[in-house]
Amino acid sequence: MSVIREMLRNLVTKPFTILYPYEKAPIPCTFRGEVAIDDDKCIGCSKCSLVCPPQVITMIDGPREVEFKGKSLARKKRPQVKLYKCIRCGLCERHCPTGAIHLKDTLSGCGTDKEAVIM
Amino acid sequence: MAEVMVPIGPQHPALKEPVNFRIYVEGEKIVRLELDLSYNHRGIEKAAEERNFIRVLPLLERVCGICSHSHATAFVKGIEEIMGLEVPARGQYIRTIIAELERMHSHLLWLGVAAHEIGFNTLLMWTWRDREAVLDTLEEMSGNRVHYNMNEIGGVRLDLSEKQVEAAQQRLPVLEERIAQYVDMVSHQETMLLRFRGVGKLSKEEILKYGTVGPTARASGVDYDVRRDDPYLVYDEVPWNVVTDSSGDVYGRTKVRIGELSESLKIVRHCIENLPGGPIRVTSAPKAAPKGEILSRYEAPRGELAHFIRTNGTDKADRLDIRTPTLANWTSVAKALVNQNLADIPVIVAAIDPCLSCTSRMTVIDTGTMAQGSISWEELVRKCRARYGTEVQP
Repeated sequence: MSVIREMLRNLVTKPFTILYPYEKAPIPCTFRGEVAIDDDKCIGCSKCSLVCPPQVITMIDGPREVEFKGKSLARKKRPQVKLYKCIRCGLCERHCPTGAIHLKDTLSGCGTDKEAVIM
Repeated sequence: MAEVMVPIGPQHPALKEPVNFRIYVEGEKIVRLELDLSYNHRGIEKAAEERNFIRVLPLLERVCGICSHSHATAFVKGIEEIMGLEVPARGQYIRTIIAELERMHSHLLWLGVAAHEIGFNTLLMWTWRDREAVLDTLEEMSGNRVHYNMNEIGGVRLDLSEKQVEAAQQRLPVLEERIAQYVDMVSHQETMLLRFRGVGKLSKEEILKYGTVGPTARASGVDYDVRRDDPYLVYDEVPWNVVTDSSGDVYGRTKVRIGELSESLKIVRHCIENLPGGPIRVTSAPKAAPKGEILSRYEAPRGELAHFIRTNGTDKADRLDIRTPTLANWTSVAKALVNQNLADIPVIVAAIDPCLSCTSRMTVIDTGTMAQGSISWEELVRKCRARYGTEVQP
């Protein structure tokens, strides 16, 4: 009987699935999407590179004067992320002291170019 | 009548993961089963031993796609015990909420798979639809539907906001109604009764003999659950009951899992309503663990999961041995299949909720001295390269 009851209920209710492309799935604020780097905030501490599980963050030359806790620092390195090798675990974001490296709420997509980088 | 061997797998349309069954039958009746496991060895234990405690957790989540939080929690729980860390109450509550939501999504997924195996695809659609509510909650809390990455040594990565708690609370009554419907359905639904009752029966003695764990064991009257018998997280503070059944067949295993859905919902509701304030992790967790050994036990959705961890004073585990519940349950399948119909194989195998690729482990045996042991990650990579002549990334 429960099957028939459910069937009748489903007949008078809206479809359960989202009517894409008219509607889009809500993206939660915690969503881990494409990795992005705010170069103005980066102090070149290499923490993101050290905690990265698949080791896709390499520190490349990027000398620049940066502000950190009211002090002026001479940064030497900046991170470079291999986009399609990133597993979007969020550890870089969690350990970044300045919030320079973070995960956006947009999908990073997928690709075969393993050397594609984000700087 | 002569015995006939029916080979199934490792690649077969009925199988979701690679395993090889050699089933000996007399007519339609199964005489015995020979199993060949481990077609998907990933060297994950050795890979874990090469990574520090921060980098290892996303890897351990990938031991299993369904019980990802289980593996990470079992590991951090062990390491925290070795380090002597006291995790803040809020962190422990959040871990428990994620653990129980994970159990709910795993059991709903299983119920759908079991229904699909008996051709009852209506139930598959229903359970997987309801599972979306659980997955949406998990995604809102952690940012991902499957690999939550909530754990870290000393607490959790993310806190729960008021908005997230409210959204979860709104979904609970809907899930409660659905689960009540399944509880009602399992005792009346003709298709389920016909295909589940008396199939794949295992007695309590057989369960204990073969070391079966989890809902499979509890369905045969073994009143054992790590959450109650060796409490971790906040299970000793939450009111809940261990669900058991005495029938010992696939029907009993279904009833236990549906009963556990109700209990998990109760635990989630209690944790959300009584979520304590305060920090979610310790302020500065040590990077290295002192020398020690620990067997960390965890009640994963499929049964008791054990992580044996040996530390050597560095920031990496010296040895990590993962015993997944499916490995403990396989031998009971060989027993449960005897004297059953050939057509009941899918449902009996599915009744332990097998997760094949999680179980693949390797022991190196010297054929001369018959000495057993394990090898390092570098040696494993070298042997793989020699065997396949390919470039394998360490």
